[in-house]
Amino acid sequence: MGFRVGIDIGGTFTDFAFLKGADVIVHKNLSTPEDRSIGVMNGLGKLAEKEGLSLRDFLAQCDAIVHATTVADNTLIEMNGALTGLITTEGFRDEIEYRRGFKEDIWDVRLAPPKQITPRRRRLTVSERVLFNGEVHKKLDDESVRIACRKLRKQNVTSVAVSLLFSFVNPAHERRIGEIIAEEMPGAAISLSHQVLPRGPEFDRTSTTVVNAYIAPPVTAYIERLAGRLKENGYARQLLVMQANGGVMTKEYIDGAPIRVLASGPVGGVVGSAHVGSAKGYPNLLCVDLGGTSYDMSLVLNGSAPAEAGWNMHHRYLIGVPMVKVETLGAGGGSICHVQGGALHVGPASAGSVPGPICYGKGGAQPTITDALVMLGILSTDEGFAGGSFSLKHEGVAEAFQKIGEQMGYSAEDAAFDCWRVVNANMSQGVRRTTAAQGGVEPQSLTMLAYGGNGPAFAAIQADDLGITRVLVPKASPSFSALGTLVANPSIDEERSYVARANALDTARLKDLWTELGNRAEKYFADASFGREEIIANYQLNLRYAGQNFALTFDLKWNGKLHDLSFVDENIGARAIALFNERHLAEYNHIREHELPEVIGVRLASHVVTPSPVVASGFTAPRIAATPGKMRRANLGRGFAETPIFFGGDLTPGHEITGPAIIQEVFTTIVAYPGWRVLVDDAGDYELTRI
Amino acid sequence: MSFELNRKLAAKRSALPTGANIDPVSASIIRGAFETICFEAATHLGRAASSPIINSSNERNAAIVDAQGRLAMGAIGTPHLTFVNQMMVRWALMNMEAYDIGPGDVLLSNDPEYGGGHLPDYCVYAPVFDDAGELILFQTLQAHQGDTGGKDPGGFTLEATDIYTEGVSYPCLKLVHRGEKRRDVIHMLERNNRFATFGGDLAAMIGGVQQAAVKLQTMIRTQGSDMVKAAINHAISHSEKRMREEVSRWRDGVYEATVLIDHDTVGTRDVKVHVECRIKGDKLTVDLTGTDDRQTLVGVWNTFANSRSYVMTQVGAAIDPSIDKNEGLFDAVEIIIPEGCIAQPPPGKPAALGSFHPACEITEAVCLALSQVVPERAAPQLYKIGMPNAVMGFDANGMMWMDQGVDCRSMDSSAVQGIDGWGSCPVSLGNLLLSEAEDAETRFPILNISREMKTDGGGAGQWRGAPGSLNVKTVLAPTMAVAWMVSADHPLRGMCGGDDAIPYTNHFEVGSPNEYKIERTAQAQLPAGATIAYQHGGGAGFGPAILRDPEAVKEDVLDEYVSLGAAREKYGVVLTGSLEEYDLAVDVEATAALRRDMRGALAAE
Repeated sequence: MGFRVGIDIGGTFTDFAFLKGADVIVHKNLSTPEDRSIGVMNGLGKLAEKEGLSLRDFLAQCDAIVHATTVADNTLIEMNGALTGLITTEGFRDEIEYRRGFKEDIWDVRLAPPKQITPRRRRLTVSERVLFNGEVHKKLDDESVRIACRKLRKQNVTSVAVSLLFSFVNPAHERRIGEIIAEEMPGAAISLSHQVLPRGPEFDRTSTTVVNAYIAPPVTAYIERLAGRLKENGYARQLLVMQANGGVMTKEYIDGAPIRVLASGPVGGVVGSAHVGSAKGYPNLLCVDLGGTSYDMSLVLNGSAPAEAGWNMHHRYLIGVPMVKVETLGAGGGSICHVQGGALHVGPASAGSVPGPICYGKGGAQPTITDALVMLGILSTDEGFAGGSFSLKHEGVAEAFQKIGEQMGYSAEDAAFDCWRVVNANMSQGVRRTTAAQGGVEPQSLTMLAYGGNGPAFAAIQADDLGITRVLVPKASPSFSALGTLVANPSIDEERSYVARANALDTARLKDLWTELGNRAEKYFADASFGREEIIANYQLNLRYAGQNFALTFDLKWNGKLHDLSFVDENIGARAIALFNERHLAEYNHIREHELPEVIGVRLASHVVTPSPVVASGFTAPRIAATPGKMRRANLGRGFAETPIFFGGDLTPGHEITGPAIIQEVFTTIVAYPGWRVLVDDAGDYELTRI
Repeated sequence: MSFELNRKLAAKRSALPTGANIDPVSASIIRGAFETICFEAATHLGRAASSPIINSSNERNAAIVDAQGRLAMGAIGTPHLTFVNQMMVRWALMNMEAYDIGPGDVLLSNDPEYGGGHLPDYCVYAPVFDDAGELILFQTLQAHQGDTGGKDPGGFTLEATDIYTEGVSYPCLKLVHRGEKRRDVIHMLERNNRFATFGGDLAAMIGGVQQAAVKLQTMIRTQGSDMVKAAINHAISHSEKRMREEVSRWRDGVYEATVLIDHDTVGTRDVKVHVECRIKGDKLTVDLTGTDDRQTLVGVWNTFANSRSYVMTQVGAAIDPSIDKNEGLFDAVEIIIPEGCIAQPPPGKPAALGSFHPACEITEAVCLALSQVVPERAAPQLYKIGMPNAVMGFDANGMMWMDQGVDCRSMDSSAVQGIDGWGSCPVSLGNLLLSEAEDAETRFPILNISREMKTDGGGAGQWRGAPGSLNVKTVLAPTMAVAWMVSADHPLRGMCGGDDAIPYTNHFEVGSPNEYKIERTAQAQLPAGATIAYQHGGGAGFGPAILRDPEAVKEDVLDEYVSLGAAREKYGVVLTGSLEEYDLAVDVEATAALRRDMRGALAAE
């Protein structure tokens, strides 16, 4: 087996996870924001060097290079995507601006609108109309398309989104418009809504298509640049790119709808968590990642990270493609503590990494959560921070909390402690909202898996608050996202519209649609050098009661073979209704006895299995009480006390620590709060349990 | 039931008795936990309910009311529902013994005369006791129901002269007794509702409050009742304090506004809402004295609790949005509503349509009055549409269908100082999700023709209102259509010198020889193929139009929000170049000269 390399680009660092046989080697270097592919090539060079190989030889031995990119998200954060136009059905020019009435804050009359990707002058309509059943009510007027193209050209538009009513039922007009744009606007990028998101309703599809058009040129250019550099340096295989649905796919496939990579950044960590948790016997996880600016929360259920399409708002635009749900709270190590209206608040403003918290000593002047942890003695100022790249400093920290204390009427230490309490409470509420929104899962039924630089410092106290009794902290947690890209399987998850009563399904039509989806999967997997027999196919239907806005998706055939559609002839309507009832009862607590559901879409979720790092588990090593390296005055929620400090490097499988205690790892700090016991498992990972 | 009852329900409540002292951070942590429990209850309802108005449109609210009947946590949902529910709970509190209310009970209220809004707004709530048996608080959950068992489907009867026409009222009805569902009662409720989905919605509401009540009980056990009570007292007094701080920054004085509704549902013209906002130090009084009290008016009666709520919805929009919405706001603001006027009707009046008008004219008048002191937050929270055009018919199986007409559209999104009106609706409606053409056409025999904004369709101003949209649809089968038109003679008012929005207009059977304009109300049979066209009023402007940055006017013309003609006539901006060539430019000198002339003409007026 050749090498496999997973790469995750963060704001500050680019992380690498290199799978060589059964070993995973982790590397980190600085990101290069001016052209992120440079940082990637630098890191690959380092890995080659460690192997004693030239970059060319190293890359030649790579079976797979898997990459998670934040280019799409950065484009939306900076709003510097392509100059985009929208062509839509006459009469529907402004739906994208109405946002279905949605506004993010129902009390803030000063809330500013999101920046429009397609301002009204670049939203043009054409004469045509398709009905809900696909019938053409008004034929497309080609000339109206050419006029629209000329207007867009005059405005220097370089990327065009096309979203017509009911194009997901009958895409002929959109296809024709695509041809005309290619003639009238040579070189312009084209995003057709029936290809980007083939389902209704129109705002969801149009919004997704518009964002796709906006980010497509920069994403495509970036991936092309990186693929080019890899090829030049001897990499002969396909570059695989992480998608927000938790699977990876080839550049050619991503090019068809680059929106699939949007919000894929945190997904690697969730996929990695699912892999590690399952291997250790914990398939139901609450994954929490506390980084510098945010607290990301997600669920792993039955060993996998569920991807859902729905009301996914990203950067104030609705993105309708399936995504692994990661909820984000503006609470991280850099979150600024402040008093407003007589109440103590933490975040959402962040000091970022520059200047960063006061204790970084890089000019930061506002107290942050990291500073509070220094004040509480949880973080060390004696040893190096973040892998030893620098040391934290006390200077200025106490003074900053003193100012908060003065406003609240107590000491600096009390102020730091209250900031810790506030951020803890915010995170607990965030978790409860995440679990409530994802089918009402009760947090106490889950195992918490904490990663990210700051996650393990809060994990056990969070768990206490949520009734969770077990917390996993993998040793590799700071580079979990890169590891996740190695674990993720190549996958294609697509749907086609098909509307019919569930008791009157046209099996021939179903087979046609699944065959069409199967052919696409086969083609793109073949591009990635996977044979038809390797493809695992899950055949799914989307059903809902007429009138519901969001459908339920479930498998009609799980782990099937590509193009084996024999299940369609096995009483599919009755099975679909039974499965729908089961899901509806579980999700919504009732079924409607007097109504029949309707099918609204046909899906094929296909994947191939690729080698993943093996995760050790178990506790076979004999248990020994670990010896602390030193003592430090710290407040772990019950007032200041001399607290034992352990060093991660000293701990081996079987070591046991009873809280209160602090474990300083290279890239993170793990806190065993009072009432918690830590055990190092056979893999060297930490398992915290409530005593 | 009586003005005396209204006085009792609205009376200021004292704090919860507790010996505990709580620090602000602990209080804030408990408040956060309350909010999350409300979020969970609202989310449960959103997921479990059957009808689109709840599961898609989000017209629901979860709140916590304390044992004194105070709004402890305003939670998750539509603002006008947030500020009503405590009034219904107060009636239950007055009858704890009479109704044998105890642990494990779940109650229902919707009575307009016992603290409720209009009949469709059902409030389902559960008392939560501590382990010693002391009542600590209630979890409430409200949602708008599709039907209320009255004369007309949906409960909106244009000509109703009494509440009984509109449906069945429940002052306080026990649905669950000590944990056991009262099946006879629930069956009766289902029997008095036209929609088969109602039973599921009600079950979802009961489930939601029960789950939340269990969580609240656990929290009370963990934190201790005294601490929870202290946290509620702290949250309410903190909001009152912050509200008073806001008011004390406002200029003392008396600020008045009058807003007119075109007519009631039988054509009586110029129905008046009058508001006087008096500010002295940290005290704000909102006084509706002078509001119409003609007893012959039809359809324009807003319940007392709803009127208080709409006042507070607009006051809440005028303050720092980070102030928690709870009883503290009512403690800080005195609301005076004369007995017998359309904002506090005498017993027996209908309530359904009053939730639109005069409810929205109350927010508009409060906004106009306060615009003189808080211009930076003067954006009216309302919907000036009389009511959406509802069309209904019967399918091949004889089943009734109804397109409620809550379509995607732009309306009433006014500017506020520094920000043009944008999006679809004012922010207070921003958790509603409007209906899309593809969903509607898949379900109903209708064809949406257009929903575009009308150029020059919003009020001009230094910051302009969002243009209103023209929603046009054709019915593909014979249908009945119901409409109530207002805001044609008296469109949404501009703020601080900004122009009014454009008038609403509504036409049926457009393009046929039978085309007609709806002047007042309609309850019409439309033939297949008939087209209806509803021009929504846009948002109003803020500040004088001739002060708008000419470059912004140029951009508006390029986007066809504003026409070249209006750029010149309303904004005094002269543009060169061509819209077709996208090369418009401001003629700076000509613009300055034109604006000088316009200012002169204004001064002469």
